[in-house]
Amino acid sequence: MFPMNVVVCVKQIPDPAAPQSLEPGTHTLARSGKLIMDDSDAYGVEMALQLADAAGGGEVTLVSMAPGGETSGLRTALAMGAAKAILISDDALKGSDALGTAKVLAAAIKRAEPDLIIAATESSDGYTGTTPVQVAELLGLPSVTFAKSVTVDGQTVKVERQTESGFDEVTSPLPALVTVTAGVVEPRYPSFKGIMAAKSKPVDTLTVADLGLDASTVGAAGAGQEITDVAEAESRSSGEIVVDEGDGAARIVAFLETLKVI
Amino acid sequence: MVGFNFSESPERQLLRESVHAVAASFGHEYYVEKATSGGKSDELWKALATQGFVGVNLPEEYGGGGMGLAELAVVAEECAAAGVPLLLFLVSPAICGEILSRFATPEQCAQWLPPLANGEAKMAFAITEPDAGSNSHRISTTAVPSEGGYRINGTKYYISGVDEAAQILVVTRTGLDEATGRATLSLFVVDSDAPGLEVVPLPVEIRAPEKQFTLFFDDVAVDPSRCIGGEGAGLRTLFFGLNPERVVSAAVLNGVSRYALDKAARYANERQVWGVPIGTHQGLAHPLAEAAIAVELARLMCDKAAWLFDEGQDAAEASNMAKFAAADAAGIALDRAIETHGGNGMATEYGLATLWGIVRLLKVAPVSREMLLNFVAQRTLGLPRSY
Repeated sequence: MFPMNVVVCVKQIPDPAAPQSLEPGTHTLARSGKLIMDDSDAYGVEMALQLADAAGGGEVTLVSMAPGGETSGLRTALAMGAAKAILISDDALKGSDALGTAKVLAAAIKRAEPDLIIAATESSDGYTGTTPVQVAELLGLPSVTFAKSVTVDGQTVKVERQTESGFDEVTSPLPALVTVTAGVVEPRYPSFKGIMAAKSKPVDTLTVADLGLDASTVGAAGAGQEITDVAEAESRSSGEIVVDEGDGAARIVAFLETLKVI
Repeated sequence: MVGFNFSESPERQLLRESVHAVAASFGHEYYVEKATSGGKSDELWKALATQGFVGVNLPEEYGGGGMGLAELAVVAEECAAAGVPLLLFLVSPAICGEILSRFATPEQCAQWLPPLANGEAKMAFAITEPDAGSNSHRISTTAVPSEGGYRINGTKYYISGVDEAAQILVVTRTGLDEATGRATLSLFVVDSDAPGLEVVPLPVEIRAPEKQFTLFFDDVAVDPSRCIGGEGAGLRTLFFGLNPERVVSAAVLNGVSRYALDKAARYANERQVWGVPIGTHQGLAHPLAEAAIAVELARLMCDKAAWLFDEGQDAAEASNMAKFAAADAAGIALDRAIETHGGNGMATEYGLATLWGIVRLLKVAPVSREMLLNFVAQRTLGLPRSY
C-alpha cells in the first residue's frame, strides 16, 4: 500500500443552465457572477477519491484557476471529500488561452507534489481539450487521455483508454496525468456531513506572483491566441420525419441502405 | 451593519444543490409511477437518508445532522422543486422527529431516532379523528391504564403513510383536566402492526406515494415506556410538533410552486404559436410574474418561521402565516403553469396536473386555511374568537 496524493484540475464555469454571453471585444465567455464546478470534473474528483481510498491513504487536492477568488465550485468538490484546494485568482489572468492556463495550473500542481493528476478530457465551456496534455508536457510527465477506467498498482497507473473502435490498455509510470471521460465512475453527491466538513477545509488562494510566474507570459498579455470574430453556428437541416404506418422498420432499413451502413 | 442578512451561506446553497441533484435523479416520473402503481418512494427516501438529508434536523448523537428545522425545510423544498414532493417529511422528521428530540427520554431517543435518521424506519403521526378535526380538545381515542401498561381504543383517520411506517405516534386522551374541563392528552409510540390495530386504506384523489388510512384501535396494548413526554403532557408536546409540520408543509408547497413556475417559464419561452414565444404576451407573462412574487413572499415567511423555531422563539404566528401563504401561492402558481401549457397542462407527461391533488390537499391540511385565518384574526389583530 502506497499513500496516493492526487491532484484534480477543477474548472469553475458559469452555470450552463443559465443564459450565457460573450465579453464584447475579446469574444471570451463572460464570467461575472457565481461560477459552479464543471460537471465533467465531478468524474475526476470521484475517481481521485476512490483511488486515494483504495491506496489506503493520501489525499485529494483540487487545483483551479478562476476570477474573483471564486470558490463555489471548489466547495462542491470539497464537500464530495477532497481534502484541500489551491485557487489561482489574479486579474492578470483575464484573457488567458489554453496554454497560459496550463502554465498556471502546472506551476500550482507542482507545489502539491502529486503522484497522479486527473483532469476532464475537456471543459464544458471552452471545449479546447488541450489544457491537460499541455500541463503534463510543462511538468515533463507522461499523459494518458480519454480514460474509461483507471487503476493504480504500486507505482504504475493502468488505464483503459476509450477509442472509436473500443479501448486501448495503457500503463504508465507515476507520476502521470490522466484525463477521464464521463463514464469512468459515477460521481457521488455531497452528503450533509461532507457539506459541513467542507466549511473548514483549506483553500489556498494564490496570485501569479505567488507562483513565481512572469505576468507577461500568462493572461491576455501572454496569449498566443486571439478570437477575432464570432459567428452563429449554421443551423442544421431538419431532416426527414417518418410517420410509422406499419412500414416504419422497412423504411428505416431502406434509409440505412442508402447510407451503405447495412 | 445592523439588520438582516438574506444571503444563504455556502453550506446552505450546497445543501440545496445536493438535495436537488439526488431528488432530480429520481424525478417526477418516478414519483408519479410509484403513486399510480401503489409503490413506495423507498429508494428515494433511502438515497436521501444515506446522504444525511432525511435526519438533518435530528440530534447528532442519534445519527442526525444536528441542524434545525430551517435545514429540514430546505430538504423538503428542494425535493418538491425537483418534482418529488414527499408528505413523509411532514410527519416523520418534522412532527415525530422534533417531538422525540425535544420530549423523549434519552432511552426513547436512542431507540427511536437513529432509525429515523438513517432512513431504516419512518414514523407516522395520528391525531385527526372523525369527530375531532381541528379541535384537539375533543379527541376521543383513549389510553387507559391496564396491567402495568395502557390500552388504546378509538378511531383515527386521514393518517398518512401508515403502510410504510414502522411506528405511529398516536395522540390519545388519558384523563380530564378538572380546572378547564378539557381532556388531558398523552402521546404513545405504537407499532403499525400492533395486535388490535386495524389499518384501512382511505382512498383520496391525490397522486402521492404516501397513502391515507383510517386506524381502528381495539384494546391495543402499549408499554409505559412508549409514552413520550409523560402522561398528560400531550397538549404541550403536541403543539410543539405542529409548527414544524406547518413549516415543512409550506416548504413542500414552495418547492412545488418553483417546480411549476420553472416548467411554465421554460414552456412560455419555447412554445411559439404566432411567431413569437407565448411568454411574450403579457396575458401569460403577468399572471406568472404575479405567481412568482407570491411564491417568493411565501418562501421568505417560511424561512422566518423556521428561524424563529430554531431560535427557540414563538414560531406559531409565522408558521401559520407561512403555511397559509405557501398554500395560496402554490394554488396560483400551479394553476397558471397549467394555463400556460394550454391543453398540455392536463397531460400526464407534462407533470403538472399530477400535482393538483397534493397542492389542494395542503390548502386544507394539516390545518385548514380558515383555522389559520382564525388564528391571525385573534392573535395578530386581537379580534374576538368566533368559536
